Amino acid sequence: MPAGVRTLLLRPEAPALIFLVLLAIVLAFTAEGFLDPANLEDNIARVVVLGVIALGVNQVVLSGEIDISVGSMLGLCAFAVGAVGESQGGLILPLLAGIGTGVVAGSVNGALVTLGRIPSIIVTLGMLYALRGMILVITGGRWITNIPSDTRALGLQSVAGVSVPVIILVVLLVVVELISRNSTWGRNVFAVGGNRRAARFAGLSAGRTRFLAFVLVGVLTGIAAAIYVGRAGGVQTNAGQGLELQVVAAVVVGGTSISGGRGSSVAAITGAVLIGVILNGLVLLDVPAEWQSAMLGALILLAISTDALRRRLLREQPS
Amino acid sequence: MISAAVPRRLKLSRELVLLAILVALVIALSLMSPVFLTISNFLNTSRFFVEIGLVALGMTLIIITGGIDLSVGAGLGLVSVALGFTFKAGLPLPLALFLGVGVGLAGGYFNSLFITKLDLHPLVVTLGTLALYRGLALGLSRADAVSNFPGWFAYFGQFYLGAVPGQLIVFIVAVAIVWVLLARTRYGRYVYAIGNNEQAAHFSGVPVARVKTALYVGTGLLVALAAIIYTSRVSTARADSGTGLELDVISAVVLGGASIYGGSGTIAGTVLGVVIIATLRNGLTLAAVATTYQVLILGLLLIVAVFLNEFFRKTEE
Repeated sequence: MPAGVRTLLLRPEAPALIFLVLLAIVLAFTAEGFLDPANLEDNIARVVVLGVIALGVNQVVLSGEIDISVGSMLGLCAFAVGAVGESQGGLILPLLAGIGTGVVAGSVNGALVTLGRIPSIIVTLGMLYALRGMILVITGGRWITNIPSDTRALGLQSVAGVSVPVIILVVLLVVVELISRNSTWGRNVFAVGGNRRAARFAGLSAGRTRFLAFVLVGVLTGIAAAIYVGRAGGVQTNAGQGLELQVVAAVVVGGTSISGGRGSSVAAITGAVLIGVILNGLVLLDVPAEWQSAMLGALILLAISTDALRRRLLREQPS
Repeated sequence: MISAAVPRRLKLSRELVLLAILVALVIALSLMSPVFLTISNFLNTSRFFVEIGLVALGMTLIIITGGIDLSVGAGLGLVSVALGFTFKAGLPLPLALFLGVGVGLAGGYFNSLFITKLDLHPLVVTLGTLALYRGLALGLSRADAVSNFPGWFAYFGQFYLGAVPGQLIVFIVAVAIVWVLLARTRYGRYVYAIGNNEQAAHFSGVPVARVKTALYVGTGLLVALAAIIYTSRVSTARADSGTGLELDVISAVVLGGASIYGGSGTIAGTVLGVVIIATLRNGLTLAAVATTYQVLILGLLLIVAVFLNEFFRKTEE
């Protein structure tokens, strides 16, 4: 295999990026209204909540774990943002409430996985239901509707023609990618996810590394919740339901290996944008909304199969 | 050695502990609701746990091999839609039922293809097929429902032999078959061998891929059976049937003592786990605890059960 092709194949986000460009070209010609500024803006804004959370889950997946509790976690954080916004107003307090809620939930996930030694899929599956139950118990099924506009700032305002959610996404992408590439913790995540035993023998704390990844998901989900509330203007008890599938799909479709150790933040965002474009394309092409879940499932399967085949092609050791 | 004597006692008592939990649960719930501790209520409860129980039998074997299947709830919805909507489209109901069974088998086989041929982790594969199967069910049914089944279809989910619900008999037969399979046949030994050390099993001549394929296909069959019983019991075929079933099933299996890391688990334990979860659900409903609390309690129960399991296992070792 020529060296150039090999390098290209080795870049985790390369296939998704190529596919995204091709899809955008196809949609530009076939789907009427795809290139409308309003549609693009809408598209990007919708992707932001997904993308911000995917940045966190990406780190968890890189460390060799998984987090499927984020759908319910977003719901709970959104309620914290909404409830504090409703009673106190302002932006900072509701945002902190959302992030705090996320950090607590993420810490519980992380502690159960690392200290309790329970597989992350079981912990986060249990938390997916437990947190949703908690939303219903705390709110008693009540919706939050009258959220003041200063609380909604993160979702509504724009700076110099660029909407605030997009700015947040780009800033977070740069920050998380820098942390991931340059900080000790960021490197440890790759080491622990690539080979946990080897990482432990090298003196890294696999527990602490993975715990912090789960906490990061909480922080980012809290921020995403503020954007979500800002855009939606209200919170229903089913907020974020099913989002966990989109997030996992974004991460693996983008090119981060589900078995850990390989991938990047760019991959997670590429995956999130790709999923946003596909869902948008389905709407523009008049495909009924009921097919969305099937498309997501097919995408996840396609992505993980490609990952497996690519590993085989490059003769990498599957971990 | 003292440390060798302790584990034997603990091992013997694992199912006894579960029984004790069940008894405590029954006492507590009968204090909360006067209707709870009656034979008719027990038989009535059994109508609801058979669907969870059937699927849990297959899931036990899958979990013993170190795998997992998150797609069972979505699979139930897809089978329900497949049989309901082909019937609505004019296919005779017996044929539609066979088609439903075929869809269940195909779903299981599809899962196993990714797991055995591509060597992918069952968790991600079945997370993908969960979305796919549920999406197919939603798309094919266009989120609509079918409910005008002929009278005889009610037999599958509403038939009583004396006071005993028909599906309880189906469940008991299925338990007997799977128990014999797991505890008394070479195939059962293979299942444990794969769970303890897949590579060693492979090098010892265990046909790992074939055993796994059979497990996921077999679970697909049980999902189809559960779907037919469920569709008949509620006399409606809908795409959202079986939502969250995987949580109940996995909780029952790990509560029954199967290690989520593979290598251990029993049918007796799973049956106890199923009865405990069904009792809890039924009791909480009778005690007028809202379903929202039930979801919360079940989610926490799953985490606690796995935690206690691994804790017990460590003391055993």
